[in-house]
Amino acid sequence: LERMDKREILSLEFTALNIRRGILRMIRAGEAGHVGGALSSVEMMTALYFKLLRIDPENPKWLQRDRFVLSAGHKCLVLYATLAERGFFDKSVLDTYGALDSKIPGHPNMHKLPGVETNTGALGHGLSIAGGMALGLRLDNSPARVYVLMGDGELAEGSNWEAASAASMHKLENLIVFIDRNKLQISGPTNEVMNYEPLDERWRSFGWGVRIIDGHDFESIIDTVLQTPFEKDKPSVIIADTVKSKGLSFAEGKVSYHYWKVKPEEMEMAERDLDRIEENLKTKMEEAGL
Amino acid sequence: MINELRDPRKTFGEAVMEAAEKNPDILVLSADSSSGSGLGDFPKKFPDRHFEFGIMEQGVVGFASGLATTGKIPVFAAIAPFVTARPFEMFRNDLGYMNQNVKIVGRCAGLTYDQLGSTHHSIDDVAIIRTIPGVTIINPGDPVTIRKAVHAMINHIGPCYLKIGSPKMPVLYPEDVDFILGKGIVMKNGRDVTLIGTGTVLSKAVAAAELLEDSGVSVRLIDIHTIKPLDRGLILEAARETGKIVTVEEHFIAGGLGSAVAEICSQEYPVKMKMIGIGDQYAGNGPYEELLRQHGLQPDQIKEAVFKLLNN
Repeated sequence: LERMDKREILSLEFTALNIRRGILRMIRAGEAGHVGGALSSVEMMTALYFKLLRIDPENPKWLQRDRFVLSAGHKCLVLYATLAERGFFDKSVLDTYGALDSKIPGHPNMHKLPGVETNTGALGHGLSIAGGMALGLRLDNSPARVYVLMGDGELAEGSNWEAASAASMHKLENLIVFIDRNKLQISGPTNEVMNYEPLDERWRSFGWGVRIIDGHDFESIIDTVLQTPFEKDKPSVIIADTVKSKGLSFAEGKVSYHYWKVKPEEMEMAERDLDRIEENLKTKMEEAGL
Repeated sequence: MINELRDPRKTFGEAVMEAAEKNPDILVLSADSSSGSGLGDFPKKFPDRHFEFGIMEQGVVGFASGLATTGKIPVFAAIAPFVTARPFEMFRNDLGYMNQNVKIVGRCAGLTYDQLGSTHHSIDDVAIIRTIPGVTIINPGDPVTIRKAVHAMINHIGPCYLKIGSPKMPVLYPEDVDFILGKGIVMKNGRDVTLIGTGTVLSKAVAAAELLEDSGVSVRLIDIHTIKPLDRGLILEAARETGKIVTVEEHFIAGGLGSAVAEICSQEYPVKMKMIGIGDQYAGNGPYEELLRQHGLQPDQIKEAVFKLLNN
């Protein structure tokens, strides 16, 4: 893995836009969904699936593959849109969101689709499962790594801190966690609901290597992952500061869009927002002479 | 030898060691619980296959699930309520819903942690774990079948819950008894009534059957060592042929073996039933045998309950 040039970053920006369009496509089908935390994680997911993960969509059970665990299972819209964009399954699946027995339920089910590694949804489960994967892969001398995406509201679950202790005690260097710190949860600002700060110190005290980044900046995401493990014999956590509902101007940073029940005029507004992002990206391409 | 007393935890631990000798995928996970589960020698013999986590049962169940996704067979044994009631959601989602090949073992189950009280009794584990689709629940009633149950659960692919007690228990079977997951064992044939026992109090049911025979009652005695999947055919056959069923378990009446039997019989072949177990109360504390008596689980009490059903 190498650092990227401008062209590659712009290409990732376009992919991220497509993933946001995929999220809207599911929302259009299901008329509602956990959109806020899905949109705040788009850049991390894009970087993982289009740059960082060693995976093969043609062979989703490849033993040497890197694993991705979506601990905050309600962010499933971004997982589905990313997997579809990466070619794990046909994008038409996205039109079934909300339908009876759809392969893309409101929280992911590994038995329904290739590329989904775990059944999450209840918060505070993913880190332990990922820790077990990392330990198992290490026992097999596999070069594979395990990546986890957690929400920041999820951190109030005590089970996460059991897992954090165990991952550090067992020196799981091959475990890398992203925390999507969008700072909002259903009841309000996360640190007013249950304060977790200082978050970096908290993880450090549990024996992890820690970095804080801008979770919407591709260079920062990818450069940071390339530096893992941050410390020898320690698991790594990347605290990614993000904006909830990123990309939808009317919803950004608003608690009420944690779960979006779409009003008729909103879908059009959302599409206009994404069109505007596309225009901006095209201008950037031209300016860069690409 | 029949009636020889053996330690169930030691028996369990030895069986895991035997299995681990043959199968390199077997790992043991501990929540500060291996030594108390008869697995004290495992880390000595297999230092690279034993993982200590400290007292964090929810975390261990999640780690076990993740390990199983890489083809390992994690065995996690601890005090029964702490691997069932406490991490129930992890058991349901990470093992059941994800259908992972993890072996959870609740030891000192039932009332066998007698004087330690209700926090340490496990008389609801069958009721709650039974609701998880795809989980096999094994509750062997003697040391010979404990050993066989360990091998059977390792050979079975899928999540399992095995429960064992704590005090020494009598051998009830010859070493070569046939033990098949999901198949009950008819220990004695009879016509008047069927007595179904499971787990730690199977020996009480055996003794009660002998008392009943002495009194001229023809008892069919069945060991249901696998509570899920339940041996539907054997139970319906007993219902049809004896017309009366008494269940004996060291568990709440709510949701246990008796409930499971009634779920089948009440819908397919209703018969008179008596469920002997613990009612809607905390079970108390004190010497084990006295606790069993408080809840009607001693052989003479089982005999009386059967008489009452027969004469009703």
